[in-house]
Amino acid sequence: MRIYGFQPCREFHIVVLGTGGVGKSCLTAQFVHNEWIESYDPTIEDSYRTQVSVDGRQVMLEILDTAGTEQFVAMRDLYMKAGQGFLLVFSITSQASLDELSTLREEIIRIKDDEKIPIVMVGNKADLLDQRAVDRKEAFAISQQWNAPYYEASARTRTNVDQVFIDLCRQMLRRDDSGYNDDDDYNGGTRNGGGGGGGYGCGQKQEDGSHGSMMKKRRRKRKGDHKCIIM
Amino acid sequence: MSVMLQTPSRASTGSTTSVQPLSRQNTMSSYEGSRSARQSKRYSMSALYMSMSANESDLIIEDELARAQKVLRDLKTKISSQSKKNFVLEKDVRYLDSRIALLIQNRMALEEQNEVASHLEDATDIQEGAFPNDDRTQKYGNLLFLLQSEPRHIAHLCRLVTMAEIDSLLQTVMFTIYGNQYESREEHLLLTMFQSVLTYQFDNTPEYSSLLRANTPVSRMMTTYTRRGPGQSFLKSVLADRINSLIELKDLDLEINPLKVYERMIEEAEAKDPESPEAMLPKGITQEEAAENPKVQEIINPRLTMLTEIANGFLETIIEGLEETPYGIRWICKQIRSLTKRKYPDANDQVICTLIGSFFFLRFINPAIVTPKSYMLIDGTPADKPRKTLTYVAKMLQNLANKPSYAKEPYMAKLQPFIHANKDKVNRFMLELCDVQDFYETLEMDNYVALSKKDLQLDITLNEIYAMHGLLEKHAGELYKDENSHLAIIMSELGPAPPQVPRKENRVINLPLFSRWETAIDDLTAALDITQEEVFFMEAKSIFVQIIRTIPANSSVARRPLRLERIADAAATSKNDAVMVRKGIRAMELLSQLQELKVVDKSDQFALLRDEVEQELQHLGSLKEVVMAETIKLEEVYKTIRDHNAYLVSQLDTYKSYLHNVRSQSEGKTRKQQKQQVLGPYKFTHQQLEKEGVIQKSNVPDNRRANIYFNFTSPLPGTFVISLHYKGRNRGLLELDLKLDDLLEMQKDNQDDLDLEYVQFNVPKVLALLNKRFARKKGW
Ligand SMILES: Nc1nc2c(ncn2[C@@H]2O[C@H](COP(=O)(O)OP(=O)(O)OP(=O)(O)O)[C@@H](O)[C@H]2O)c(=O)[nH]1
Ligand SMILES: [Mg+2]
Repeated sequence: MRIYGFQPCREFHIVVLGTGGVGKSCLTAQFVHNEWIESYDPTIEDSYRTQVSVDGRQVMLEILDTAGTEQFVAMRDLYMKAGQGFLLVFSITSQASLDELSTLREEIIRIKDDEKIPIVMVGNKADLLDQRAVDRKEAFAISQQWNAPYYEASARTRTNVDQVFIDLCRQMLRRDDSGYNDDDDYNGGTRNGGGGGGGYGCGQKQEDGSHGSMMKKRRRKRKGDHKCIIM
Repeated sequence: MSVMLQTPSRASTGSTTSVQPLSRQNTMSSYEGSRSARQSKRYSMSALYMSMSANESDLIIEDELARAQKVLRDLKTKISSQSKKNFVLEKDVRYLDSRIALLIQNRMALEEQNEVASHLEDATDIQEGAFPNDDRTQKYGNLLFLLQSEPRHIAHLCRLVTMAEIDSLLQTVMFTIYGNQYESREEHLLLTMFQSVLTYQFDNTPEYSSLLRANTPVSRMMTTYTRRGPGQSFLKSVLADRINSLIELKDLDLEINPLKVYERMIEEAEAKDPESPEAMLPKGITQEEAAENPKVQEIINPRLTMLTEIANGFLETIIEGLEETPYGIRWICKQIRSLTKRKYPDANDQVICTLIGSFFFLRFINPAIVTPKSYMLIDGTPADKPRKTLTYVAKMLQNLANKPSYAKEPYMAKLQPFIHANKDKVNRFMLELCDVQDFYETLEMDNYVALSKKDLQLDITLNEIYAMHGLLEKHAGELYKDENSHLAIIMSELGPAPPQVPRKENRVINLPLFSRWETAIDDLTAALDITQEEVFFMEAKSIFVQIIRTIPANSSVARRPLRLERIADAAATSKNDAVMVRKGIRAMELLSQLQELKVVDKSDQFALLRDEVEQELQHLGSLKEVVMAETIKLEEVYKTIRDHNAYLVSQLDTYKSYLHNVRSQSEGKTRKQQKQQVLGPYKFTHQQLEKEGVIQKSNVPDNRRANIYFNFTSPLPGTFVISLHYKGRNRGLLELDLKLDDLLEMQKDNQDDLDLEYVQFNVPKVLALLNKRFARKKGW
């Protein structure tokens, strides 16, 4: 059982996602190192560690800055499995970069099997007003549908950089406090339970059928739990 | 022979296009060789004759070269069509991957189950068919000819479509319209299309730093291009061995992030002895603090050396692979270089190399290094530690191409010596990549040849055609504003695009391509700007080569030095071979015409022509070696993609069975209990399973293995019992109760190991085995 409220330092995994060149690395570097990077080296995979204080509580963050280059898609599954909170970044100068977020979000929800997974949506490069191609209202409307907060940020002017990360931390802390079970790797748990919002009601039916229920039970078992009898 | 020809400039300059036309000057100036334009034209012309004669069905040449060439040709066709099949299957598997996950989690409504099932049901080979009438066949044939031979339309379309529309376009363009991966004409047309899109990107991207960076329909197309046959075999030959030997070292930990090293060090110490000084070290320190810890340094330093060695090894094979790098990929690098120079005349080599690197390394080499499985370079998923090592290698290579800033991950600065040592070498390599010839002349020739072939055709599905039609229609306002343009005329005659047909009704159509606007040319010489003498000369050379290739090498006629008159005479008087006689007569005519034109001289035994014929024959001789070597390499590629195909098919089968199973169970309540027949037991020896890769690790001592066997039984659909037995003993040693769900879920989570105490099974291989053995009519 976990004891809530007493741990001195909570640890969370954040994954920063979004298409190439939207400023994921710049945002992360600004947040972690307070540094502006002008040059553009495409990322393959960078990881950062930093400690922040959120509403007076210490949080240790492991931030994974991912590749926006699409050729690296096959790495996404792993990131998503490891992440507990996601920053979905696009650039307000590119409509296409916003369009790509919805696939990413779907994939996260599928892999985490959780519609309420903490997400913050970020419209970066807000300093480039004259190149704006995405209406703030449009982006906001999408974020509403997703039930995720939306920020416009600029890594260059360091606008809203801390805010997006802190918001994500708050969401993760809130979940953690409410005892929401998201780590099924640690407790072979109720993946459909607890307001995951995913049940379509057909699970119930299966409980009745004889092997249906067997299947359901089995399903919960993790690797290594197979009924293995040594004779 | 009737050759049809359009205006000669067509292949390289578009007239009414908004796409930046490829100017001839531009391409010519990039010829680095000493060949003059005229020489190159003559060279291509000669190639034209040679290739035409190869296509002529009237004289069947049956020497070893011809046979080897045929084998190679067939192989290439098979690779091209298999690639397309895999592309389609991959899409299906991807779709089902996401659906099945929901199903396993019991989160799929019944309607959706039905939809998935219907998707699966038609995932079979599409049947052949035809359009309802000739008129449609002709119009679509004309449209597709136009799209294929004038790549600017597709180039333009690529810029207009959304990412959501790209998938269907991608399939049609990469695997159908330009689907013959080894056919130079289609390859060159495709590259021309890339060029026009790249040109547009360069002209419309404000800062070079964001060039080639965004994910666009074009970048996706280029990815697909790099993953076709030639790219795949290159990656395999350059990377597979290195990656595989790294992956075998499952426990080799080369983490150099000091914080992680520090934490792991504490964890390990805690596990060993919680009282030890290391276990008592403070947690939650900063990266800098961790980096200063002497123990951490002690761990990291040798790892830096090893990483450097490994990365050097990769780099070495990549650089050695220069000549093996597929032509198209090098040519794209070359375009990037010349476009950069054109747009930024002051750009130094560093800038150019960074841009080349963002194609060559970032989009081609490095993705294959970090996710080798999805590039078919390895079978399983790498374990965590080797995966991390591979990621480091890719980052190091990428840092060579870009100017890295260590602001992000300061500890990477420790690898700086690697960058310094190799920077110049890599830049030189990237510039050498660009060192390839252009193809415009050959393309022009290939286009003539294509037109002269009566059987230019395309295998394309109804839905591909309709989707293309629909896309063109949707972007009509941009694509064909000029209502007199050929595209506009065909499109208006075709009328509105039909909707997609259901998968079951989709058909493959063998569409003859032709153009109503191309007129036959009688005068190749005028069109190609070469003289009549040259045409005669080339034709003569080609005919003599053909004749000599058909006569037995030991015949007196073939004695050296070649006596051309004697050869022509022998052919003209040969018995029972009308074609040969015709050739011989033609050869004699040509000889005397060339003599009259004073191109050759009888008094020196037509030495000029004779020497060229001899040269060509020698070239063909060494060509045979080349053809054989290429065949061997392509066999390998074909095997890889066939294996991949088998994997995809078995994956689909597994899903299919699973879905049937789930559905019949949810129906089970209303229907009578289905017959539940126990299947098996099927017996497998240890050796058998080991050979098939089902056993990936065995703890059974070698001398006992012969006595171990397994029984597989399926008491109920979707349920399996695997038991392990020792010969002579009545009772099994172990019994494992397995559910299909569990296996699928493990597979989804990339957990490949199924632990059976004495042996470790490989999950995908177990699935494949169960699939093969227990496939019930409906579900397992
Ligand atoms: N004006 C402006 N430029 C930005 C901003 N953020 C990033 N950039 C620039 O955009 C380019 C790309 O930024 P990165 O942070 O490297 O992009 P990324 O999303 O990490 O890209 P990948 O690693 O390829 O996925 C760099 O040249 C940055 O200088 C911003 O807020 N404003
Ligand atoms: Mg980045």
